[in-house]
Amino acid sequence: MTMISTPASSASSEPRPAKVPSSASSVRWARRREVIREVFRNPLTVIGVVIITLFLLMAITAPLLTEANQPDPYQSPRDWANIDVAPGVEGHVLGTDSTGGDVLYGIIWGSRLSLQLSLTVVISTLIVGTIIGSIAAMRGGRLDNFLMRIVDVFLAIPELIFALAIAAVLGPSFQNIILALAVVFWVKYARIIRGEIIRVKQTDYVAAAKVVGASSWSVYRKDVLPNAVTPLVVQATLDMGNVVLIGAALSYIGLAQAGLTEWGAMVSAGQSGILAGQWWVSTFSGVAILLWALAFNLVGDGLRDALDPKTEGR
Amino acid sequence: MQVRQYLIRRLALLPLIMLGVSVIVFTLTRFTGSPVGIYATPNMSPEEVAALEQRYRLDEPIPVQYAYWLGGLLRGDLGWSGVSVAPVTDVMGLKLTATLELALFAALIAIIGGIALGTIAGVRRNKAPDHAARFFSILGASTPTFWFGLLLLIPFYLWLDWFPIGRSTPEIFDTIAHPTGLYTLDSVISLNPTAMWDSIRHIILPAVVLGFGSMAIIVRMMRSSMVETMSEEYVDAARAKGLPEKLVIKRHARRNALVPTATVIGLSFGFLLQGAVAVELIFRWPGLGQWVTSAILSGDQATIMAYVLITSLIFILVNLTVDIAYAYLDRRVVLGS
Repeated sequence: MTMISTPASSASSEPRPAKVPSSASSVRWARRREVIREVFRNPLTVIGVVIITLFLLMAITAPLLTEANQPDPYQSPRDWANIDVAPGVEGHVLGTDSTGGDVLYGIIWGSRLSLQLSLTVVISTLIVGTIIGSIAAMRGGRLDNFLMRIVDVFLAIPELIFALAIAAVLGPSFQNIILALAVVFWVKYARIIRGEIIRVKQTDYVAAAKVVGASSWSVYRKDVLPNAVTPLVVQATLDMGNVVLIGAALSYIGLAQAGLTEWGAMVSAGQSGILAGQWWVSTFSGVAILLWALAFNLVGDGLRDALDPKTEGR
Repeated sequence: MQVRQYLIRRLALLPLIMLGVSVIVFTLTRFTGSPVGIYATPNMSPEEVAALEQRYRLDEPIPVQYAYWLGGLLRGDLGWSGVSVAPVTDVMGLKLTATLELALFAALIAIIGGIALGTIAGVRRNKAPDHAARFFSILGASTPTFWFGLLLLIPFYLWLDWFPIGRSTPEIFDTIAHPTGLYTLDSVISLNPTAMWDSIRHIILPAVVLGFGSMAIIVRMMRSSMVETMSEEYVDAARAKGLPEKLVIKRHARRNALVPTATVIGLSFGFLLQGAVAVELIFRWPGLGQWVTSAILSGDQATIMAYVLITSLIFILVNLTVDIAYAYLDRRVVLGS
């Protein structure tokens, strides 16, 4: 949609309308600004954004908020003099667990692990899924068929169960949970992007670009991909929360290292105390998981409403 | 005709997908220390272990190993479950019925609650009940199941002692017959009110915890399809001919909104199967989930792999059933697209 300014039009005295975008990319940017405004009009989305920002700040400033434990900051420092103390005790705002580990310390350093988990899994699977889905959709034919049958097989095993089996085979460690989730999560993206590309390929502007003689790579890069990523963005946002939920479930079951400041592992560490009335360890670390997932779900939902005209006002 | 063709194509694809799943599971077993560990029992002599290695061709190339592993699988040889101290196939049925009973109750709660809440929200769009239902559905999707289960234990088990932990009181259930393996059904069949009450008391809390997440998914779908059907012309037409609003909603709007909701019910069954892992662990429910978690902690590969196979099979079958039901319910669906 490039506006070509001919000598005639530039010579005319009529002023050009101020807000006419001059290229496809600026149209896209204008649309993005509009979407962002739309997103921030929804109070629930704003709440989500605020929670995410707070978690990010917490993860970044962890060493300033609490002194890092040596040698491994992802193991709570043990305060053997204060075992199972209730919240509010001096130095232990949220109480301690049965080995004297401070709950607040665990939540703060755990936010770094959650960030590491969700970013690694979502970014890597987004890349792999986009590549595989794009190849399937752009090539079509047998290759498409073959790749989609693989996707079908992966989707036949529920996510958590698949990841659980992989992590169990690899042995209990947080890194293996990340790896297991990465193996499982790319499929969804591959299927979404494939469907979108097939839809976009049928549009007039892609046909037009082909008629002009653009190479298929340039058509893909300039016309197809940018118009196909929207649902992917929504799904990736939701998955930033989902990945942490599933990862926490896996470490709750016992697939992370013992004593790790991972929120799911902390819920597990606190559960034996629950029947003795020591509710704080499991409760607070679970609230952290809930808030993390809730925040990304709120933002993902808001994005979906803003990006998809069909759901507007619903 | 179209529906039948679609059905045939889906059924033809089923063995292919199961074969794919078996390849994945087989690949996972080859990552473990020694694949013979799947079959060997602890009290076997070295000669017997060597015979097993010979039998499953563990010294031959991987494709040959796969063929023999699959052959064993088809004959029902899933290996030796270390945690149950028995062959996997002997225990699997018991664990499966326990999990299915729990999942069915959870599904019942999720479907009834989800449809009711979703209908109210869709009818009273943008009013307070709608906002509440939307927030509830987001909350349900964000709540870690294991944490929710632990939290409910505090008031309902610790303080009030309303719901006991476990699947049943053994003294009661040892005395009745188990024709189905589903305790609630068994107690009804044997006309034993004590057992009935006992099984219901045990299943309610874990079923609510398990169903919560799925209910959230169903509420959301039901709500948006209600919003859609409420603005359809046939709803206006039903009102115009003087039908009371209650009947308009029930007979026209809700019935049509149920069709798209049926698809997410299939998907949410996967949610139930995965949620069961943590729920069974917390409530000491002796099903597949508790079985696999104890297998993980003791490195029992045969049990883990059997678990993946069986849950995938259930998940595939449920989704197939839902798709077929969907195809029959809504002939407008372009099948296979």
